[in-house]
Amino acid sequence: MVHGQQKPMQLVAASAQPRIVFVLGKGGVGRSTVAAALASSWARRQARVLILQWAISDPIGPWFGAEPAGALPVTVSPGVDVVNFSLDYALRAYFVDHLNAGWLYRRVIRARPVAHLLEVAPGLAEMFFIGQLWWLTNLAASEAGLRYDRIVVDAPATGHGSPLLDVPATMATMRGADLFALESRRVADMMADPAQIGAVIVTLPEALVVRETLELHQRVRTSLGRAPNAALVNRSAASLVAQPDPGAWLDRLTAQVSPANAQLVAGVHRELHARLDTETQLRNRLSDATVHGVDSFAELPGHTPRQVVSALVQQLGGNA
Amino acid sequence: MSPRLHMLLGAGGVGKTTLAAGYAVALASEGRRVGLLGIDPARRLQDTIGVQLADAQTAVPGVDNLAAAVVEPQRAIARWFSESVADDQAAARLARNPFFRALSDQLGTATDVLAAVRLAEWRERDPLLTDLVVDTAPGLAAVDFLRAPARLQALVGGRMVRWLLAAARASQSMSAAAHRVLTSVSGVVGTAMVADLAEFFALVQAPLSAMLARLDVARRWLHAGDTRLLLVTSTHDTAAAGAVSLSRALASADLHPHAAIVNRTWPAALAAELDAVPVPAAAEPFVAYVRAHATAQAAIVAAAAPLAPQLITLPALPDIDRAGRDALAALGATLHHHLQRTEP
Repeated sequence: MVHGQQKPMQLVAASAQPRIVFVLGKGGVGRSTVAAALASSWARRQARVLILQWAISDPIGPWFGAEPAGALPVTVSPGVDVVNFSLDYALRAYFVDHLNAGWLYRRVIRARPVAHLLEVAPGLAEMFFIGQLWWLTNLAASEAGLRYDRIVVDAPATGHGSPLLDVPATMATMRGADLFALESRRVADMMADPAQIGAVIVTLPEALVVRETLELHQRVRTSLGRAPNAALVNRSAASLVAQPDPGAWLDRLTAQVSPANAQLVAGVHRELHARLDTETQLRNRLSDATVHGVDSFAELPGHTPRQVVSALVQQLGGNA
Repeated sequence: MSPRLHMLLGAGGVGKTTLAAGYAVALASEGRRVGLLGIDPARRLQDTIGVQLADAQTAVPGVDNLAAAVVEPQRAIARWFSESVADDQAAARLARNPFFRALSDQLGTATDVLAAVRLAEWRERDPLLTDLVVDTAPGLAAVDFLRAPARLQALVGGRMVRWLLAAARASQSMSAAAHRVLTSVSGVVGTAMVADLAEFFALVQAPLSAMLARLDVARRWLHAGDTRLLLVTSTHDTAAAGAVSLSRALASADLHPHAAIVNRTWPAALAAELDAVPVPAAAEPFVAYVRAHATAQAAIVAAAAPLAPQLITLPALPDIDRAGRDALAALGATLHHHLQRTEP
């Protein structure tokens, strides 16, 4: 089996502390896989974990034979629940369960003109998303009986993911009433606390992704005011091409197949090598720029998402 | 005659950018007047065709009749808003408004919306254009703009927006109901925030209406009879799954791809050939990888076939991005040739 380097992963150390980990990266890099694997490995250490997804086209639930999650938690494996963020539900939780202002919710928030506006007012959904995280970690147990030890946030970096981290800055520019000022302080305090919030960047060893990854890294750094906890390079080619003396075995291999295929095999090998170079470049740029460093996880062609998650859980050492 | 739109759709990393560039070069070499629009933030399009690209379209040297541009979100947003905001003072107020900052953050990542607006703008400003080739954002994000108009529309319409606009003008004509709701909202969030929100809506009406009009042009162009939607996948499982969900999203918008393209396929005989030869132990992981891919490929071609009336498989060309303009043009010509076989 090709399961990449079997080294202890930085992700384990990186996620030891923060109660909430944002898994960030652009679509298709394997963000949800990493989110699901982190959650499973914590659950195996007896934690109750919630995966909070937002704007995801391929939700985690069906990977595990469960329904795609809605606003209410769906259990996908022992100790792991998934929720799909919904602004409607967050508004209700805030105004009804938290503020205990059901009248306000029904008469103002749900009044059609206001509800319509809330859906489109720029920045508002992001604010309620972060607010819901605060609520989940501070009050959900007493107000709604939802108890989670850890939360993994799985939201795309393009679109929603990194603007989420800017919410405290956005709120600071808004001139709201006292209640708003209180909420912004709470949210800002939570985001500033490394014991509460951490970030992990997922990326691919592809030349066209490098620049975006470095931009995302910089953006996380600026928004959080500290380095991301770790990074993971998915679909690593390290174990495929970094064999002792590839020149020798590659020549022997290509000598045995037809000339056209020999050319193709050599080309595929060159491509994988270029990926390895990109990975090295990413590692060099990111290892000192993250708290705990960079992990690699091998590509597993032909595996289902659930199998890929199990392989990553195994590599995370979740057999305890 | 109206220009023809060619749009390449697919997951990230399937080779859309390279194919789009090659295809545009092939079309231009037939003497048509071609535009190539990329959204690639990694600027790979410009590495591929060897010219520095920007928000404004640039002639591609060495290829007659081909101009190219990329969507630069912040620059495009700044340009569109400054083109339709009344004066410098209004522009400065807009730049300070917290809701506008949040909106431009959101729009800045909505490359699909910006690309759609940009392609309508291109058509509007280049009346001689015959073909526009668009390399889209990866995955479902490419067609999100089909749903975006509803969101943007809500920013220029809706009762609450009208009330806030009335409040911004300190209009006397506000109804009692409007007054009651605004007072309640002010009570919760504060009067200053409601004032900022009212200012925001007053300032963005004109630029957003202009964007909406262009989005509508883009949507109609996408639905035009001769538009070519090309669904691209590689031989990776995730890319194929991406193509399936894209085709579903397209179908729900009543759009149907013209062809499904399985890019970077390997010869069917490769796996069998590798099975027949002794493999050095050190090469085992590499060979296992090649074999797994070759096996997955058959399943992916079978899954792609029902997604469109035409199925096109294109060969893996490992060094295409370094092979220069001719190799790129040859790949584009192959694709163009395949597509023309089904033309009436």
